[in-house]
Amino acid sequence: MTKLETEMLKGTLEGIILASLAGRPAYGYEITVRLREQGFSDIAEGTVYALLLRMEKRGLVDVQKVPSEKGPPRKVHSLNDEGREYLEEFWRTWSFLTERLEQLREGGR
Amino acid sequence: MSDVEKSGFLSKVIGPKKRWRAYKARVKELPGNHRTAVEAIERYLMHFVPTDEDSNASMFEDLADLFEQAAADGTPIREIVGEDPVEFVNAFAENYSEGGYVPARARKQLTDDIERAERAAGNETGTEDKTV
Repeated sequence: MTKLETEMLKGTLEGIILASLAGRPAYGYEITVRLREQGFSDIAEGTVYALLLRMEKRGLVDVQKVPSEKGPPRKVHSLNDEGREYLEEFWRTWSFLTERLEQLREGGR
Repeated sequence: MSDVEKSGFLSKVIGPKKRWRAYKARVKELPGNHRTAVEAIERYLMHFVPTDEDSNASMFEDLADLFEQAAADGTPIREIVGEDPVEFVNAFAENYSEGGYVPARARKQLTDDIERAERAAGNETGTEDKTV
């Protein structure tokens, strides 16, 4: 991943994770795998995990401990109402930003 | 690290002794390279300014959670910590240290000082606050 890509992802990764959870609940590793399949190839599991913890603390996701076949129980995260609201705001902000950036790009031609 | 003080600075860094020992016991059970990685991260985490004992104990417990699960899934170290381990640990520690390398009181002081300076400037020129 290029440095620029890393920097730009940093501000949006939280929204990306919430968007992924909007589809269906998941545990950390599952989300990482899902995102990798969708082309975010270099996302570290630890980074996703750290952001999930943050969202849990801010009350954007609900957490349920589910026993796993191997290893300790997995923390399954699901989007709650507050998380959904936050995600909507994220998409609004995203549309605003892309619109402005497109305008800048066209203006620069 | 086994003979830590009951109170004082160290307990603030690592949390209650009992929880610290339980965490250490979990780390000991991890497969070799995962254990080495956790211990390296642990060393780095010691540089962060602790907020309170409870949240610092949780920090190490959550770290153990991550690596236990990753070891069970067979996730390689590099896939857990990413290309830039510092970045990962910074993001991780931010959840417990109120996001900084500086003590909370230093952040409060900066915020207060700027507010005071702003107010003083407002009095001098009689301008309205124009905070965005």
